[in-house]
Amino acid sequence: MRSTKQSVVVAGLAIAGLALGACGGGTGAGTAPGGTAGGTGEEAKTIKLVAAEYSKDHTKAFWDAFAKTYHEKTGYTLEVQVVSWDNIDQQSSTMIQNNQAPDILNLNAYASYAKDGLLYDSDAVLPAVVKDDILDTFVKYGTYQGKFYGFPDLSSARAFFYNKTLFQQAGIAAPPKTWTELEADAKKITALGGGKVGYALPLGPEEAQGEFSMWLFNNGGDWKTDGNWVINSDKNVATLGFLKKLADEKVTQNNPARTNRADAFDLFKSGTAGMVIGFSPLAADLDKDKKVDYAVAPFPSNDGTESKTFGVTDYLMAFKKPGNEKAVKAFYNLYYTPDQVNTFIKAEGFLPVTKSGVAYFSNEKALQVYLNTLPNAKLTPTDDPTWDKVKLAVQQNLGGAMNGSPKATLDGLQRTAESGG
Amino acid sequence: MSNSTTVSPDPAPVAGSGDRRSRMPSRTGRRRRAGRIGQVHPLVALLWLAPALALILGVVLYPAIKLFDASRGEYSITGLRKGDAGWDNYVKVLDHPDLGTVLRNTVVWVVAVVAITIVLSLALAQFLVKSFPGRRFVRWAVIIPWAASLVITSQLFVLLYDYNYGIINHVLLNLHIIGTPIDFLGDDSWTMFSMVVVGVFVSLPFTIFVFIAGLGAIPDDVMEAATVDGASPWQRYWNITLPLMRPALMIATVLNVIYVFNSFPIVYTLNDRNPGYLHDTTITFMYKLAFKSQEHDVGMSAAAGIFNVLLILVVVGIYLKIINWREETSR
Repeated sequence: MRSTKQSVVVAGLAIAGLALGACGGGTGAGTAPGGTAGGTGEEAKTIKLVAAEYSKDHTKAFWDAFAKTYHEKTGYTLEVQVVSWDNIDQQSSTMIQNNQAPDILNLNAYASYAKDGLLYDSDAVLPAVVKDDILDTFVKYGTYQGKFYGFPDLSSARAFFYNKTLFQQAGIAAPPKTWTELEADAKKITALGGGKVGYALPLGPEEAQGEFSMWLFNNGGDWKTDGNWVINSDKNVATLGFLKKLADEKVTQNNPARTNRADAFDLFKSGTAGMVIGFSPLAADLDKDKKVDYAVAPFPSNDGTESKTFGVTDYLMAFKKPGNEKAVKAFYNLYYTPDQVNTFIKAEGFLPVTKSGVAYFSNEKALQVYLNTLPNAKLTPTDDPTWDKVKLAVQQNLGGAMNGSPKATLDGLQRTAESGG
Repeated sequence: MSNSTTVSPDPAPVAGSGDRRSRMPSRTGRRRRAGRIGQVHPLVALLWLAPALALILGVVLYPAIKLFDASRGEYSITGLRKGDAGWDNYVKVLDHPDLGTVLRNTVVWVVAVVAITIVLSLALAQFLVKSFPGRRFVRWAVIIPWAASLVITSQLFVLLYDYNYGIINHVLLNLHIIGTPIDFLGDDSWTMFSMVVVGVFVSLPFTIFVFIAGLGAIPDDVMEAATVDGASPWQRYWNITLPLMRPALMIATVLNVIYVFNSFPIVYTLNDRNPGYLHDTTITFMYKLAFKSQEHDVGMSAAAGIFNVLLILVVVGIYLKIINWREETSR
């Protein structure tokens, strides 16, 4: 009998321990959101930021320093979680599913969140001076149904990169001004042999919409005009047809439909590709490697008219949670001070989002090409929640046109867009 | 994705349990019977079982309930639950135009990887039980693919397979076996083959060690008797080794089927440049539905997850049934 009693005691202890452990886990997980949100009317002293990782070296360092300054200046505490781009969609979706949204989320889309009524608009949390300072283009694309929700954290603009050494070897004097010239130059570079690639064309799922945007804007096309989707317009079909022609003529790298942007950049960085659409972080990498003698030029337009650039901005959006308004407003107030926002942008190698930022960076020679075009940059229709799904459809389907019909591919995308994703 | 981590085989206890079961009853069973087996109060038994039960409830049942709950919800692209969807998500998954492709890929992937792994492992295990100088190092070397993270291994193969810089193409070109590089990951006729190679590569270590254990459990005297009776090596292998290896074969097959079926990193990493679902299995299909595709729908993905669980249960059930049936008829 003694042994039975002992086993009861031991088993009882085991269960107690397990139950305690479970409770500990439970309360731990439970208080995290509770602590940040606070009760109604009660003011949140701690807010949470989920930030995307632009670079291993700078992103976390910047936000940690920022959190420190924020605490010193405002008395609020900022919890920072840096998440890689690969995971951030999944993480943010899971957080919202479990009712544990952060107070501030850094992402490349905002309109769907605004549509779901999850976000504060600028009237609630963005100081008026800050709103006035943000470049008009970004205010325009950050506005959903008349209210400004998508506060930009940084921006980038695409430009045309070419390998000067390869251009010289192929006997090309100047960067192309029209698509006909670009095609001819690509042929000359490919003809050099040795696996050289005229134009590196990434239409893989990573960022097909970016590559295609640059091309279609420079053929006078667009994704959406006057509130209507025009994805399968004649101009866009012609644009995609031209890309298919480049691929068929084998002046691009092998299998453009299955090449991601990072792979295309690698081809350019290794000196294999003659031309590619790049942006300032690619320039930073090239400058660091010092392997390729390159130059940056405006992207050629089809007919030689003035080049248009494709701009991209990411967002810092504010989630509605009881009592966090003041702390969130203090966050934006601090982030958009020239010291903070420009330091971040400079470290990450991107472009400013504010008028004061454009002035601040105006003496940076390397950025001139982009800065001049930035105020007139065209963006994808990020202000339409449907775009968040159309973008994914473009990423998954655009490449299909390389082995099929450009018209059919774009018709399919148009249908997706018109049916609301 | 969550179930891929929970069901990945933990080979150490499994490999051991086979022979433990065969030896233990003779000793402990007899002692128990001599002692007081009926005297443990049911409540006490329950108390002892409680930690395990709590774990099962918490780690298996609770997530399963949450998954089912999610599969019945209507979700916005942001992850916000907008209401109940009833069975809509299930209908949408079954109606998905690419479902046929995905199912076919899954069957090809699982059957090819498991079959090739089993055959190769049988041969390699036979080789590794022989004693030869340096056997220890060879055995260690065999474990390495298993010790490395799947994502790292897959990424490594992406580099090996690369069209422009990959060493495989480099070697084949230099040996003049091919004239132009092969696009192992981008060419539709090569992609599945390339994935299967990696799948076999990472499944081999576990399987080989299960078979080594199985070969070690075959008594020498049976073999000797067969040799004395004049059985040829091939007859000995076919009529003695293989039948006695049946438990090991069964464990290896079932666990590999589950493991390979649930394998996410290989299919996802080797396939990330390919748009659509051309080479996806049901597991990566589920992930893409939730986060990458134009559907971007957590509810639909959860419904696909439920189908995945049912599918693997059915496959394992059928397999076990076949094994039982064979054992009964062979008696």
